[in-house]
Amino acid sequence: VGGPWLPGDPHLLSPPPACNNGGGSSPWRGPRKSEPTMHISQCDSAPLLWHTDEVAAARSLGLVGALLGSLPRTPRQNVRLGRPLLLLPEEERFLGDCGALTAISQSDVGVREHARQVALYEETLERSYQEQQVLALQDRKAAVLRVDCEEDKRRRLETLERHFSFQRSALMVQLNTARVGPAHLSAGPASCAIRTPAADAKYQVFLDLRRRGFYLTSAGKFGGDFLVYPGDPLRFHAHFICVCVRADERVPLSDLLAAARLGSNVKKTLVLCSPHCHGGGVTYSSLQWSGMI
Amino acid sequence: MGFSANGKQYLLPEEALYLMECGNVQVFYQDLPLSIQDGFECFLSSSSVSLQQYQVFGHLKRLGYVVHRFDASSQPSSYARQLNLPQSRGARSLKRKRSDSLVPTCSHSEAHKVPDVKRRQAEEDPTLPESRPTSSQDTLGAQSPSADSNGGRPWWITDAVASHQSHEHACRRSLCWDGVIVFPDVASLRGHSSCLASPDPSLLPGGLTVGECDVKPWTRRINQREVKMSAKDRERERREHRRKWDVNRDEKVRQCRNWAEYHQLLASRQGRRSGRPEHLWQREVTPLHDHTQPISTGELLDKISVIKSTHVLEGASRLKASEEWRICFTVYQPDTVATFKKSNPGKPFAHMCICSFTGPVPDLAAIKQLSFQSGDVQIVFAVVDAGDISFYTFKDFQLPTDVYP
Repeated sequence: VGGPWLPGDPHLLSPPPACNNGGGSSPWRGPRKSEPTMHISQCDSAPLLWHTDEVAAARSLGLVGALLGSLPRTPRQNVRLGRPLLLLPEEERFLGDCGALTAISQSDVGVREHARQVALYEETLERSYQEQQVLALQDRKAAVLRVDCEEDKRRRLETLERHFSFQRSALMVQLNTARVGPAHLSAGPASCAIRTPAADAKYQVFLDLRRRGFYLTSAGKFGGDFLVYPGDPLRFHAHFICVCVRADERVPLSDLLAAARLGSNVKKTLVLCSPHCHGGGVTYSSLQWSGMI
Repeated sequence: MGFSANGKQYLLPEEALYLMECGNVQVFYQDLPLSIQDGFECFLSSSSVSLQQYQVFGHLKRLGYVVHRFDASSQPSSYARQLNLPQSRGARSLKRKRSDSLVPTCSHSEAHKVPDVKRRQAEEDPTLPESRPTSSQDTLGAQSPSADSNGGRPWWITDAVASHQSHEHACRRSLCWDGVIVFPDVASLRGHSSCLASPDPSLLPGGLTVGECDVKPWTRRINQREVKMSAKDRERERREHRRKWDVNRDEKVRQCRNWAEYHQLLASRQGRRSGRPEHLWQREVTPLHDHTQPISTGELLDKISVIKSTHVLEGASRLKASEEWRICFTVYQPDTVATFKKSNPGKPFAHMCICSFTGPVPDLAAIKQLSFQSGDVQIVFAVVDAGDISFYTFKDFQLPTDVYP
């Protein structure tokens, strides 16, 4: 393993951390063109996934992302959030390299197409109204039948059928999370993220760790680049905080100490990752503050 | 939520999107309902509300806060704020009175309040020295200083003892005259020769020649009778003479060449005695404090402190608004929802600034400018990191003082 670090740097642990493929981590699936394409919607230059099957597919690829929206069943809480799924720039780039990405955007439709859509919508609405009317009547009848006395039942059922009316305002409508209908492909490239050397270094580290089976999420709160989980984040706590350092970068010792102390406070190991140039591997060094002897 | 204009009710884009997500509102555009994906794409952009800002908005609204867009023009002016404040700002001053008990520097019960501006009472430096007491010893100056610059014997003594010094005298006398005229004390010449020697011809103008002066007719005109004193009187005289100290015995007095210098010497002695020596108080740099005046240790430390503590709002009005840092939302407490009125919202809980971990940390200029804009409401920085939001706030801090009177 080469020495990208300058003399006097912290002790280099050359073997990378043991890769435990147990715990349900998904095996590495290299880029294959037969992957089902995912539709990325760019909202304010952030890549979002909207469809449930796409979110599940991303999870199966080992991409965790972050959910942003309110959960439809319980919207007024922050513990569990729902779609859309925000992807990290590295995850988006990964999907792009897999060829599994298609950017979509909202495009203007012609007048006739629009009129057709409106007609379709109203027809769907009307059909839903009819169905709901029938179901509501059945519901009321079942309520009447549950009552015990026998004679009133028949009479009440008859009056119910005669006088039942289902209000339009009582109609339940569906508010779609994802856009229905065919997706309009955008003309631009799938990912428009700016490539900087720092971003390239982070992506290389992301690829390498993903190849080893780790799950990665963003670690801004912990002062690092990635949080590394040995398996699915829902089942494990993070083990490492990853800080990506380029091979030619000089890091002041005080920064390293601050990061190491921060990591030890949250019971995670700080791992310094520095990718080798032009592909190749990544060198990992872990820091653990052991205190005074 | 929302506002009314032109007789209609309007919703802001982030409010509409939040209500859509909660399932309370369906938004139609061109007779078609928008999905939430459409809402995200249409309503959120860098020009209206960015995705990060909407994340924070939604997070706070789900927790129950009342969140409005920040409106700088609706901020009360500082004067209006002064009128509405229940507690006075200037009650606490850093100058501690000796008689009072400890004055606390932060007496607020709310933990979130930014400490107010503390008015420092300017210390009046005793720059003007006290007027020196006039010398009362002028009357003592009746005796002329008998020492001339030579420091030796007067010129009219021409004893054989002094003859060997005559050469030195001559040398010294050849120096320029220093303006001292020494007159002979005829009465004390009793034991000496009866005539005064003639003066040095070099000192006389022109071709003047002066012979010796016979002292006898002068001594006869002086009453040289001994004063008859009784034993008690003599004892008293002796005692007084013992206490009396000949002023001419002082080396410094002998060094004075004229009356002005003697006055200066007297003045400096008087100054030193009164504690205000002139070498301290008459120069450009004077002492910070007159050591004869009482002062508490705390005040003295304040006087010698070089670094004065400052406040975050100092110089803030001169800063111009930056584009990078601006207040996005005004947040009101969730329990005030029942009493919240759009016409009278009350005091906000916080002002939100939204940034991300990849961006820069706000520098002092940004914090000053935001604090100035925000008034007395605390500023909270909501830092967005993918899905997580962390809230940070900067609090003013005064270094503790350990010295009390």
